[in-house]
Amino acid sequence: MLEIRFHGRGGQGAVVASELLAQAVFFDGKVAQSFPFFGVERRGAPVTAFTRIDDQPIRLRSFIENPDVVVVLDPGLLRDTPVTEGLKPGGLLLVNSPRPPEAFSLPLGGRIATLDATGIALGRKVGTATMPVVNTAVLGALARATGAFTETSLERAIISFVPSHPEENRAAARDGAEAVRTEPVAPSTVAPAPAPPAAPLPFPEGPMASRPSHVLHTSSWRTLRPVIDRDRCTRCNFCWEFCPDDAFDLDAEGYPLVRLSYCKGCGICATECPPDAIQMVTEA
Amino acid sequence: MAKLTIPRQELMYSGHAACPGCGPALAMRLLLKGLGPRTVVSVPASCWTVIATPYPTTALGVGMLDNAIEATGASISGLRAAADALGLGDLNVVGFAGDGGTADIGLQSLSGMLERGTDALYVMYDNEAYMNTGVQRSSATPQGAWTTTTPVAGEARGKLEPKKDIMAIVLAHHPVYAATLNPSFPEDFVRKVEKARERKGPRFFHVYAACPPGWRYDSDQTIELGRLATYAGIFPLYEVEMGRLRITRRMGQLKPVEEYLKAQGRFRHFSPEEVQQVQEQARARWDDLLARERAANPPERAAVPGEPASPALPPPVAGEALGRT
Amino acid sequence: MVFKVLSGNGAQAEAARLARVQVIAAYPITPQTTIVEALAEMVASGELKAQYVKVESEHSALQVCLSASALGARTYSATSSQGLLLMHELLHWASGQRTPMVLGVVNRAVAPPWNIGADHADTMSQRDTGWIQFYPESNQEVLDTVLTAYRLVEDPEIRLPAMVTEDAFYLSHTFEPVDVPDPETVDRFLPPKDARAILRPGVVSRLGSFTGPDHYVGFRHQVAEAMDRVLPKLQEVESEYARRIGRVLGGPLVGYRTEDADAVLLTLGTTSTTARGVVDDLRSSGRKVGMAKLRVFRPFPVEAVRQLARTVGRIGVLDRSFTFGALGPAASEVRSALYGIPSPPSVTSFLSGIGGRDVGPQDLRRVFEALLVSEAPGPRWMDLETSGEVAAHG
Repeated sequence: MLEIRFHGRGGQGAVVASELLAQAVFFDGKVAQSFPFFGVERRGAPVTAFTRIDDQPIRLRSFIENPDVVVVLDPGLLRDTPVTEGLKPGGLLLVNSPRPPEAFSLPLGGRIATLDATGIALGRKVGTATMPVVNTAVLGALARATGAFTETSLERAIISFVPSHPEENRAAARDGAEAVRTEPVAPSTVAPAPAPPAAPLPFPEGPMASRPSHVLHTSSWRTLRPVIDRDRCTRCNFCWEFCPDDAFDLDAEGYPLVRLSYCKGCGICATECPPDAIQMVTEA
Repeated sequence: MAKLTIPRQELMYSGHAACPGCGPALAMRLLLKGLGPRTVVSVPASCWTVIATPYPTTALGVGMLDNAIEATGASISGLRAAADALGLGDLNVVGFAGDGGTADIGLQSLSGMLERGTDALYVMYDNEAYMNTGVQRSSATPQGAWTTTTPVAGEARGKLEPKKDIMAIVLAHHPVYAATLNPSFPEDFVRKVEKARERKGPRFFHVYAACPPGWRYDSDQTIELGRLATYAGIFPLYEVEMGRLRITRRMGQLKPVEEYLKAQGRFRHFSPEEVQQVQEQARARWDDLLARERAANPPERAAVPGEPASPALPPPVAGEALGRT
Repeated sequence: MVFKVLSGNGAQAEAARLARVQVIAAYPITPQTTIVEALAEMVASGELKAQYVKVESEHSALQVCLSASALGARTYSATSSQGLLLMHELLHWASGQRTPMVLGVVNRAVAPPWNIGADHADTMSQRDTGWIQFYPESNQEVLDTVLTAYRLVEDPEIRLPAMVTEDAFYLSHTFEPVDVPDPETVDRFLPPKDARAILRPGVVSRLGSFTGPDHYVGFRHQVAEAMDRVLPKLQEVESEYARRIGRVLGGPLVGYRTEDADAVLLTLGTTSTTARGVVDDLRSSGRKVGMAKLRVFRPFPVEAVRQLARTVGRIGVLDRSFTFGALGPAASEVRSALYGIPSPPSVTSFLSGIGGRDVGPQDLRRVFEALLVSEAPGPRWMDLETSGEVAAHG
């Protein structure tokens, strides 16, 4: 049995990717099981989905703790989400990133594959400029990198089940398969400290929630970040005024400061800035 | 430093879980700026249940009480009764509910609260569908709009029925103060909040609350879309005080609705005829408001019999293009 | 102390007044109406200083009490039958949100067909909502139970809601003398509500929240633990009540002549009074029978029932409602409580008094006779073995 865990953000199509994969596997004549970790996903919030592939009926209905493959649809997640947690030694990490596999590491060793799925999705006009839908390009890469399902079945699944722009999505899948680069990685010489056994979650405070939410950071939600040109800024404070995330502070002189821990990259500040002093730039 | 036109105080915390560009998040932020810290907010099942973040954190710097989706009106009646019984008369009691929780499943509770004369502010943040569950139609969804339960396919052209007129329903209860608010006009928004805060008795806000994923537009357009909504007469801004209507955002001429509709995926299927229909409705809505305003504020001198009364409109205010008063 | 001739509904209202409730919200339903009318009089005359919120439904009545309790007020509401069923979702909110309150429920049959007679289907169908449930048998017990219930539910260790029921008409509209304690004595027993643990205005606090699978189970477990503390705490509260007011309430299971009994009948509510007389009659003709009143159904007094079962060969359970597809609800609980004890007694489920059917001594005598000759599990629909003509006109 092959176990795959997808990490994405709401709106990128991680959950749909796992469903399409199940369909492709079915077309291959194998058994698949795909399911999301069902929370209350907002657009941009981290989401997880799981897929199991086997030749015989799957006798498990639980989360995948030790996947053979981890698929990361957004490299921004690598900043603060432990995506490779539990990945089997020798497993595959597939990352949507324009950077080469060598730019990433796997402490337990295995293989790392990368492709620029965002670039492919933008090129094929899958999704929008601010929210490109990268799932089909990533699935193409996954087929090529694992061989666990055929590219023919993947394309058939896309044509049969993707409701909008199926042809563009098929093209994106083909691009993804061609673009993916895989490199083996040796384990780090320093063995990682074994994870401590999971303690039962504390239940400290009774029924009342009383911790301000600013202890939670939402920086991983964004693909774009605002950059302020102080010379052009007129200190009109529109950016501060219109920010739904209260992600602006005003300094002593009244210039805006972006609080990047909270900015979700919606772009309102840049669009509303009268002197065009704010540009949205792509997150590395 | 440039002078701020709205209060600097923040009572909504960052780190909340709203989608990027969320109208309801901005609405809450502005609301609390106007209300201040002596406030308790009752929130039914809605986007804000989730936006406020999971236990043990909360995104509000004031007290927040979760309540069942259909019971916000009753909840604020209970909070008011307790506040009065406990000597907390200065407490701002607020219900903050979505359009589904207000105009659909919560309508009875809202009506009860208004009719009882509860001294509280009820806010309906209107994102025009069940967004928390993934964009299903509500009675507040505009006619023709796509939602997941009013698909556009074959003969189906989105929602068949017109949007429920919640303000008319509320005004039939004769609240002390009712107003429409739009976060794209923050000064007007906060001024109405401050005005409502000083009134005693039932008060109601209908808040325009744009939703990028549900309305299918790019998240940076939230403010601009709100401006278009008001300038096109889709969501005019006005207040009704003891029955007297006053338009708070005046337009010499309405913008065409087409720009507003074209900006959103949920209306992308509209034919020119359907656009025209929305245009006529906007015109009629605006004319009706003007007439009601005139009726509520008769000119000082009695009109000469046979001559129409002139609607003495003040000139447009400077800075209109930026949406400021 | 002073004796007043009160109906059960009057006793509910008197108790709410003595408890100095601060917020009342209710919606009228037969046969609860005289409670809310009496409270309206008390508030109008100034006798009771409370906010009385006249709501448009039972659902809103409970939400008003919930929110008021969340802010720290002592609340009271009363309902019956359909009204309680309409409250169902909010019953879960009250226990989950840990908002203590007392709700008077006049037990009435559930429609259809419409029927306003005594029946426990309304409260029994709410037994899994996290509420404490009391089933008194007299108007005196109604008053005493409401007062002790407030003290119990507001205890920081408990903070759960409670319903105090009364059988429709057999209590709600039956007048009898009730010893009403004086307000000062009650004040000493029941100090003002400690609101410290509740939602505080102007302070960062969210009551309700949402949680993933990580914390949700913790919330549920806290309710379960609070429920587990109810019976020991009730013992303390009732001792204190006896010390200050002078009346003994007897805990969750009140036995009568059970010591050497061959067969014991468990009852809820008003049939308990009649059953006691029947036990005496049967005893005088040499039949070794006893009875025990289940005063508290939630939490179910498992230990007390097991204790009783040690010395008894046969137990009958008289339910005034039925769980379709199973037995009388109390009978099911008793059977479950006795699982695993050595040589358990037989348990027979009897149904009597459904939808206002009258339950007289002759009816209970037939129940005891059946119990003495058979160990069949039942259920036996006793009402169908008689004509029920009197009740048919009720």
